[in-house]
Formats: sequence, structure tokens, C-alpha cells
Amino acid sequence: MSTITILWIALPFLAGFIIYLFPKIDRYLALSVPLISLGYTLQLFTETSPITLQLLDNFGVILVADQLSGYFILTNALVTAAVICYCWNTNKSAFFYTQAIILHGSLNSAFLCADFMSLYVALEVIGIAAFLLIVYPRTDRSIWVGLRYLFVSNVALLFYLIGTVLVYKAHNSFSFAGLRDAPPEALALIFLGLLTKGGIFVSGLWLPLTHSESETPVSAMMSGIVVKAGVYPLVRCALMVPEVDPLVRVFGVGTALLGVFYAVFEKDTKRMLAFHTVSQLGFVLAAPVVGGFYALTHGLVKSALFLIAGVLPSRNFKELQHQPISTPIWIALVIASFSISGFPLLSGFGAKVLTSKNFLPWQTIAMNIAALGTAISFAKFIFLPRGNSENHVQRGFWVAVIMLIGGLFLANIVYYEAYTVENIIKPLVTIAIGWLVYLLIIKHITLKLPRTLERFEHLIGVMSLILVFLFWKGFAWLGI
Amino acid sequence: MLEGFILATIFCGFFGIILKKNLVMKIISMDIMNTGVISYFVLIASRNGLFTPILSDNRNGNYADPVPQAVVLTAIVIGLSIQALMLVGVMKLAKNNPTLETIEIEKNNTP
Repeated sequence: MSTITILWIALPFLAGFIIYLFPKIDRYLALSVPLISLGYTLQLFTETSPITLQLLDNFGVILVADQLSGYFILTNALVTAAVICYCWNTNKSAFFYTQAIILHGSLNSAFLCADFMSLYVALEVIGIAAFLLIVYPRTDRSIWVGLRYLFVSNVALLFYLIGTVLVYKAHNSFSFAGLRDAPPEALALIFLGLLTKGGIFVSGLWLPLTHSESETPVSAMMSGIVVKAGVYPLVRCALMVPEVDPLVRVFGVGTALLGVFYAVFEKDTKRMLAFHTVSQLGFVLAAPVVGGFYALTHGLVKSALFLIAGVLPSRNFKELQHQPISTPIWIALVIASFSISGFPLLSGFGAKVLTSKNFLPWQTIAMNIAALGTAISFAKFIFLPRGNSENHVQRGFWVAVIMLIGGLFLANIVYYEAYTVENIIKPLVTIAIGWLVYLLIIKHITLKLPRTLERFEHLIGVMSLILVFLFWKGFAWLGI
Repeated sequence: MLEGFILATIFCGFFGIILKKNLVMKIISMDIMNTGVISYFVLIASRNGLFTPILSDNRNGNYADPVPQAVVLTAIVIGLSIQALMLVGVMKLAKNNPTLETIEIEKNNTP
């Protein structure tokens, strides 16, 4: 299994370069790679104990493949496959597929890392591949958005590097477990890098502009899986070094509330979905033990929503109220929105129930408010007029969306114990209250929230504030 | 003392990113910050000694630590390639925004 793991990590990079050399077979080769990942992760789920690979002694590369990484890798495989199916008949050049596969491969390696240096390399390659995908249209706006993303990502990871070398100084290896012995500065610096890369709390405000201004398949891939690469190490650290668990949960709650607050008042479909991603990543962090399953359901549903939002006639909710959308698209939109609001029969429900079972007592109220906000914001999608029977979307779109939504139904088997009467009533009540709030209040008010914190200079400046906050709180609170 | 200088370099780079208005100057400040971080790795590697860790006939014992040095090579290459990509992006942006001031570019390109 160890050899298979190493071969499987190397495969996407090899495939990516071969795609560029032989453009005729680009889409077929590109589709085969996520399917191989799917096979690998199904094999991984049948393994009883985690696979640990220590390449080159204790200061070298450490890879850990267990159930938690399995969920993330499964999300990666499904989202990448769906995006490639969506792009099948659009005339994307071979370069696009190369970048998509290299992104897929670097995400796979990020989800296996258990030491800080390999994670650094994986996160940087992810940043570069995502940048090249964002700037694919070569317009001025896409170049600026991509440049901003790459810049913020690189500065955050430079801070992360300083933290890494401090961990090495204290622990003589780069492993995640070294966080226990590391000085509080190291903790603050590493967390700053991961929080910024994962789009958590205020440092994640680069996310809305980046995800909304990219092309549809790129947004789907980024929101579906790329941000999870920053969240996975936080979950892994919270599990390996339980002393940082409270800090991770605090950030989870804060992020969930911040994201949902912005999402409720947003009038642009893609920006709302992007803010919503921020909020749902907070849910993944709020209960690290079961974060993997929540990440899987969120990845599937968010990429489906972005793909659907890409084929809607307009990006403005007010305009969409007057233009009916075709009924099959509306059905797909409603199923996806129901899943994320936590409706039973879809795996979003199981994920929410599983997560709420693992909350600490102080988290429940705040996370319930976040869930209510989710229901409110997705009521905007559910209550759109439908009936237009013209259907201009390409076949690849339906293959992708059916794959993702089918995955949502199938993933129910992971936590079928959620289906008890009391568990079913709570989400239904939440959704009902959310719809009421939407119809009575939100539909009629227009509140334009300030976008100052999303400006480039403020994104960099906020990093220093978060660093001070982490050092002060991380030191004072946890006494590490 | 040396550690203080290196940390001062990193801070200079970071403040340059915030305070400079021109995009090219921001990228150069990021490069300065990158240099500072890499030097910090090399400083940590020299904790035990200053001799190059190459095996030869007379063994001195005060070898520097090869692990951070090897690992930082990756970081140097990554920093270099990211800078190259960013400068290409800047070249393309400069066609329509010749002054390359971030505030102007942002105003023109953010909806």
C-alpha cells in the first residue's frame, strides 16, 4: 500500500505534463486521473489502521493516510472529475487541463502531509496552479484577482515558514507533533499562514472576490476543494495536539458567524456562495473530529452550486426574480440548497447532525444561529421563479451536476444513524424559520456592507493584527 | 545580534508590502521578506557549528546542520518561481495601468 500511495501521488504530475505534450488526449487523460484517485480512496477506506510513511528518517517527509484524509481525497476526486466533465465541450486548451490535474495532484499530497515542510511545498504548488487557472482568461480583471490571490497566499506562507523553522529548532523535526514543544510564536505564525490560506475568519476575506470573479469551473474547484487544503492541517493539528483544539474551535465559530452574516445580505449569487464557503469552513473547524465528512458534503454541494450559478441568466438576485429559470436547473438548485440547509434525505443533514453531536456546550447557540443564517441565504435560491423551458446548457454540465448530487445522496450511508425523529425535527424547524425570516425581512431590505477589509492593503495589514491576536491569545490562554 | 538583523529584514519587507504604493515595489518588498526568511533558516542551521557538512578525511565535529539548508532550497525555488509569475502578471497589467499603483488598479478592476 505504501508503494501504491507514492505512485498515486506522483501520477497526477506525470499525467499533467503528458497532457501538455500530447494535447490530443488531454480531456481523456485528465478525466482518468480523478477516477484513479477515487479508486485509491475507496481502497483507503477499507484500511483499518492509518498508513504512515516516514521517508528518510524523522526529519524527512512524513505522510499519514487515514480516514480523515480519505474524506478530503474523495472530495478532491469527485470535484475534479465533475469540473473536467463540465469543461468537456467548452474549448479549453490543454494548458487548462494540465493545471487542473497538477492542482488535483498537489491537493492530494497536501491531504497526506503530516509534517510542516511538505505541507509548505504542497500549499505553494496549490497556490501557483490555482493562480494559473484563475488567470486563464487573460483579462485585466482576472490577472489582478489572480495576482492578489498569489500575493496574499505567498506572504502568509512566508510567515508560516518562520513558524516552521522555529518548530524545527525546538523539536529537531518538522512533524506536526512538534507543535507541542514549539514556542508560542511558532504556533501563532503557523496558524496565521494556515488561517489565511484556508480562508478562515477575517484573514479569509480574499476569498469572496477571488471565487466570484473566476470562471465557473475554476470557482467550483476552488470553493469545492482548494480552500480545504488550508483547513485540513488545522483539523489534523487539532487532532494530533489536543492543546490547540479550543483555539481551532473558536476560529470555527467566528468564521461561521462572519461568513453567514455577510452571505445573508449579499445580492450577487457568486459572492454569496463564496461567503457561504467561508461560513461552512467554520463548521468544519468547529468539530475537528468529524470535520472530514462535513468537508465532503460541503465540497460536493458547493461545486454543484457554483456550476449551476454559472448557467443562470444573471448574477444579480434582483434580476433573477424577474427571469424564470428552466425547471430541471431549478430542481438541481433546490436539491443542492436543501442539502446545505440540512434537509433530511441528503447528506448535508447527516453532516450537520454529526457535527452538532460533537460541539462543546458553548458552541451550540452560535452554530445554530449560523445554521439559521444558512437557511435564510439559501432561501434566496429556492424562491426563484421557474418555468422557462428552454435549456441551453451543455451535456457536460448535467453529467457533472448529476455526479455531484448523486454523491450527496450516496454519502448518506456514512451516517445513517442520524435519522431519528428528534434529529429530523430540528433542521426542519430551522429551515422553516429561515424561510419565514427571508420572506418577511431579507427580501425587502438592501443593506450594502462595506468592502474595505477586502482591499489588498487591508488584507495584508489584517495579517499583522491576526498575528498579534494569535500570539497574545495563544500564549495567554493555552499557556503553551 | 544576527538574529535581530534577520528579523529586522523580515519586518522591513513586510512593512514595505504595506506602505509602498507601487505594485513592483510591493513585489520587491516581498522578495526582501523572502530573503529574510531564508537567511533565518540558514542561521538556525548554523547553531551547532559553521563547518560545511561534507565528509572528508579530517573530521572537525562542528558541522552545520544540513537539514534546514536542504529544505530551504525548495523554499528559494518556490519564491523565485512565484516572483517570476507575478512579474509577468504585472507586465500585462502595466499596459492599461502604466503607473502600476495598486489603488488605481483595484478601482479599475473590482466590481
